[in-house]
Amino acid sequence: MPEALRERSWELLLAVILVGTIVYNATQSPVYLDVDNFVNLFRLSIEKVIVAVAMTFVIINGEIDLSVASVMAFAACVLAAAHESGVPFGLAIAIALAAAASAGFVQGLVVARTGISSLVVTLAGLIGFRGAARILLEDRSVGEFPDWFGDLGRADFLGPMPFALVLFLVMLVVGGVILHRSSFGRRVYVIGNNADVARFSGIDVARVKLVLFTASGLVAGLAGVLFAARLGSVRANIGEGFELDIITMVLLGGVSIFGGSGTLLGVALAICIVLNLRNGLGLANVEANTQTGVIGALLIVSVLAQNLLDRLPLRRREVEAEA
Amino acid sequence: MNDTAPVLAMRGICKWFGATRALDEVSLELHRGEVHALVGENGAGKSTLIKVMTGIYPPDEGAVLVDGEPVSLRSAADAQRLGIGAIYQEPLIFPDLSVAENIFIGHQDQGRVVRWRQMCADAEAILARLDVHIDPRAPASGLPVATQQAIEIAKAISLDVRVLIMDEPTAALSAHEVDRLFRQVRQLRDSGVAVLFISHRLDEVFEIADRVSVFRDGRHVSTDARDDVTRPRLIAAMVGRQMSDFYARHEHHAGEVILRVRDLGRTGKFAGVSFDLRRGEVLGLAGLVGAGRTDIALALFGIAPAETGTIELDGRSVEIDTPRQALDHGIAYLSEDRRHVGLSLPQSVTANITLPSLRRYVSRLGLVDGAAERSAAERFRRQLSIRTAGLSQPVGLLSGGNQQKTMLAKWLNTEPAVLILDEPTRGIDVGAKADVHQIIDELARSGMAIVLISSDLPEVLAVSDRVLVMREGEQTGMFDRIEATQERVMTAAVGVA
Amino acid sequence: MSTAADVARLDGARNRPGRTAVWIRPERVKELSLLGVIVVALLVFGFLVDDYFSGRFFNRVTTSVAITAVLAVAQTMVIVTRNIDLSVGSIVGVTAYLTGQFASSNPSTSPAVAIAIAVGLGALLGAINGVIVAYGRVPAIITTLGTLAIYRSWLISHGEGRTITADSLPSWVVDLPTRTVFTIGGLDIRVVFAVVIVVVAVLQIAMQRLRWGRRLYAIGSNPEAAAQAGLPTRRLVLGAFIACGALSGFAGFLFLSRFGNITVVAGQGLELDSVAAAVVGGVSVLGGSGTLVGAFLGAVLIDVLDQSLVRVPQVSEFWRNAILGALILAAVIADVVVGRRFRRRWSAEARPHTKVDSSTDAPDTTKVPALTAPEQGGEAGDA
Repeated sequence: MPEALRERSWELLLAVILVGTIVYNATQSPVYLDVDNFVNLFRLSIEKVIVAVAMTFVIINGEIDLSVASVMAFAACVLAAAHESGVPFGLAIAIALAAAASAGFVQGLVVARTGISSLVVTLAGLIGFRGAARILLEDRSVGEFPDWFGDLGRADFLGPMPFALVLFLVMLVVGGVILHRSSFGRRVYVIGNNADVARFSGIDVARVKLVLFTASGLVAGLAGVLFAARLGSVRANIGEGFELDIITMVLLGGVSIFGGSGTLLGVALAICIVLNLRNGLGLANVEANTQTGVIGALLIVSVLAQNLLDRLPLRRREVEAEA
Repeated sequence: MNDTAPVLAMRGICKWFGATRALDEVSLELHRGEVHALVGENGAGKSTLIKVMTGIYPPDEGAVLVDGEPVSLRSAADAQRLGIGAIYQEPLIFPDLSVAENIFIGHQDQGRVVRWRQMCADAEAILARLDVHIDPRAPASGLPVATQQAIEIAKAISLDVRVLIMDEPTAALSAHEVDRLFRQVRQLRDSGVAVLFISHRLDEVFEIADRVSVFRDGRHVSTDARDDVTRPRLIAAMVGRQMSDFYARHEHHAGEVILRVRDLGRTGKFAGVSFDLRRGEVLGLAGLVGAGRTDIALALFGIAPAETGTIELDGRSVEIDTPRQALDHGIAYLSEDRRHVGLSLPQSVTANITLPSLRRYVSRLGLVDGAAERSAAERFRRQLSIRTAGLSQPVGLLSGGNQQKTMLAKWLNTEPAVLILDEPTRGIDVGAKADVHQIIDELARSGMAIVLISSDLPEVLAVSDRVLVMREGEQTGMFDRIEATQERVMTAAVGVA
Repeated sequence: MSTAADVARLDGARNRPGRTAVWIRPERVKELSLLGVIVVALLVFGFLVDDYFSGRFFNRVTTSVAITAVLAVAQTMVIVTRNIDLSVGSIVGVTAYLTGQFASSNPSTSPAVAIAIAVGLGALLGAINGVIVAYGRVPAIITTLGTLAIYRSWLISHGEGRTITADSLPSWVVDLPTRTVFTIGGLDIRVVFAVVIVVVAVLQIAMQRLRWGRRLYAIGSNPEAAAQAGLPTRRLVLGAFIACGALSGFAGFLFLSRFGNITVVAGQGLELDSVAAAVVGGVSVLGGSGTLVGAFLGAVLIDVLDQSLVRVPQVSEFWRNAILGALILAAVIADVVVGRRFRRRWSAEARPHTKVDSSTDAPDTTKVPALTAPEQGGEAGDA
């Protein structure tokens, strides 16, 4: 069906790019196709990709959450501070997650109740929660976590995969079902397309937004805790700038910055592309910062390409205007 | 310059969108000092023609001539330079800018430096000519639609337009505002402007037009002097077949009272509204735009809840503070604003139809049952004869009339006891209009209670069993079908003896 | 028809209604209240910190605010067009580094040349953003998120980790921050600060009085209407991005002269400060409204906080970000609350004028339900 093809054209394009990247990388390094290598790819970016899943929901809903990296650090610092002051470690994790969820909740409350652009609210969150992290740890580094905690990010949990990766895969599947198959997911899309239509259809728009921002905060907190586990110690400045990488993955996945469209499959493909590309560029001896530049360029080119595709006959907007 | 040549002539214009031919060898001439009405059903190609005239779409074939000279229109700026201006149903204003800036922002000839004092004085003077007296320094946001439209006309005047295209400018106006608009249009015509006037309201066409052109399916069908056409002939030309102007109405048998409203009010909107609504009854809400009719609907639907008074459903007093509560009580509201609050245009016909009743298609795990959803949508597609290439099509790709039917399906699918229809036939073509009237009739016969809000008075009188009239937020009359005459209802709506 | 302006003038002379009402533009109120907040902050800090009101403190704030203020103004010019430029921090880094590199290898570089290089480079980078946004139709947030990374990673690979050091620069560059135009009452007015004030004032007047500036607001206020009115929207948006880039380049030069030692990560994170200053200064991220003076005051407030918090014994410098975040939130919430009230007053006052119109129009003019409370989006109904 050509229509089905057009609907999925973005995912197809991503899949082609991904296969191309993997094939190229495989020719560069004999060990590339090893399972361990793939696991390793994810291991080093696991926090970002976990947050990207939640971010997909937020952006499809027509909002954005710039505060995720700061909330990650905030949660990690809460964990560290609680641990430092002798709180049992399990409880400390719970407190950290609760703190992150509340951070998301507060921002969601402001967005949902006042209608202020989430770009501004979460910009305040980006600066403010980083500040909260700084207040907690100042310029110290806190570590000496229990051994089992460190294993979360490193040790094999299921086959060759560490706990964090398994968690990500579970989130991806569950998130996909919620977004694409549940009534909640349907509401997320409708609100992203047109919040007024949603409201006039009996949907509690404020509640959906509140749920999403709280979930975004919670997931960011989870990522922060996992980050702490992987690093073994926490400083207030961890994860600085992660929000840009995360948003890049989501947008590269074909999610519209204006909300209302995009799929989790696309985001999953985009994540794989970014990770494989970084790895491949690394194999080709391209420095880490140049890799960042390449991904930035990929982001721009991806949307440019979409616009060029739209220029082909039968532009939707024109037909719609006529109708 | 050639005085006898039409000021704007379109010759053999063709325009394709993909495989669809939106304009097929269309020719049209506009002369100085005439009001030229353009009528046709939705999808007839009127909007596309306007966009070609204003330089938004380049034509694929054909020529555009201004004063007999071929010109190329490649952008809105080109059209503006040639003296072609357009006013749309929804005024395109800059809410953050002042009234004066709104009028002069597009000017190319005012120099690089803004002379505020001069600009404001000029703006005030032009507005005064249009009988509009507002402070030109006030921001344009917060002004009534009619005033915003006057600003657009002032903009056109200030640009010395020679051709003014008005695309359904009266759709959102009250009767008095239409009168004033027509005075302004005649003023423009008398000063030599060629006005292209597009409207679905044939009464207005007969009132204002000098000549009438009809489009159908992207083709030009006819152009005649107004005095040479009759209403039935015009309709026949539009739909391409002979059809009756009036629809066949059945007898409604009103049952017991389902909705009882007493002393309903909301500060600044409306007050003291009381009525009973029975099963199987159509209650018309008449009044000028701005009289508070939609506000009553919004109160009953929980968007802007009432602050005073009581609502009883089936004899039980209820509180309605959110649309969800209204839906749970069996009240549905079809909004007048299809594009902004009615339909999610990029989403499928199916998703739109099941949106307010999504709960019914959800399994225990919270997952949507796609098959059940599609079969519900399919039922409505057949029942309401919604024309679409497929139910998974984005609803934005459908024609206006079919979008309207989709919206109707969306609310019917909630199986409401009380259905509020707000301007259900505004901006849809004659054929779809008759379909909607037929559907209302059938729904009432099946026992549904219907509230019909419409600015089309003949429609209200033809379809309703009783008519409630509003004026300035107050209830000024309630007429039975037999008592309700055009004169009585208008008198109650306008408030002059 | 004679020309509209002629008619207008004739009619205007006869027909101007006598009116004394003075419109207080909402922007002025925002600016004044922000000024009030700055004064209150100064008083509070003066109370908490010994010897707070000193010439040295004044110097420190004015030198540091120069950079943020220029960036805030640059950001504002893009934001009013309903766009955003997240790459300004990277532009500052690139221009500071390259200008420094040029000046250190050409010790005879004159101030004019150095500034021209920085501004020109910035304008070029801004033009790249602008072309992608305006002609490639890529949303600004995506474009500049991308160029944020691209510009920075180009700089890092270009710099190969080398640092531009202050001693390699011509002495006038390093001395610039301490140069003083004049002194009033023990307060030195630094050259840098004076120049920035002039730049902001000139640009503010340009945005207010030039057709170009008004059109930038028009685009942000309603892009569709702007296209319809025949405004060259693409060229205008490109212009806004070029202006933003050029100003960021100038900020890069100020950065170079202030710090002297420039690494490849110079200016990182400044994009957030610039957006924060603009937002605190009352610039709407939805475009169409906000003034450069407001953004400037926003930058001043942020820098006052920055420079003062370190000196308050009761709180540590680590509180800086937390307070700034709260401040942004407070600013936008206050904006919404005050804005609502204002709109109500505006439409209330607009009505008597319309009412003169004709008594039959009363229904629309006395009851403008939707328009007095536009935030309740759904009520666009009967209005």
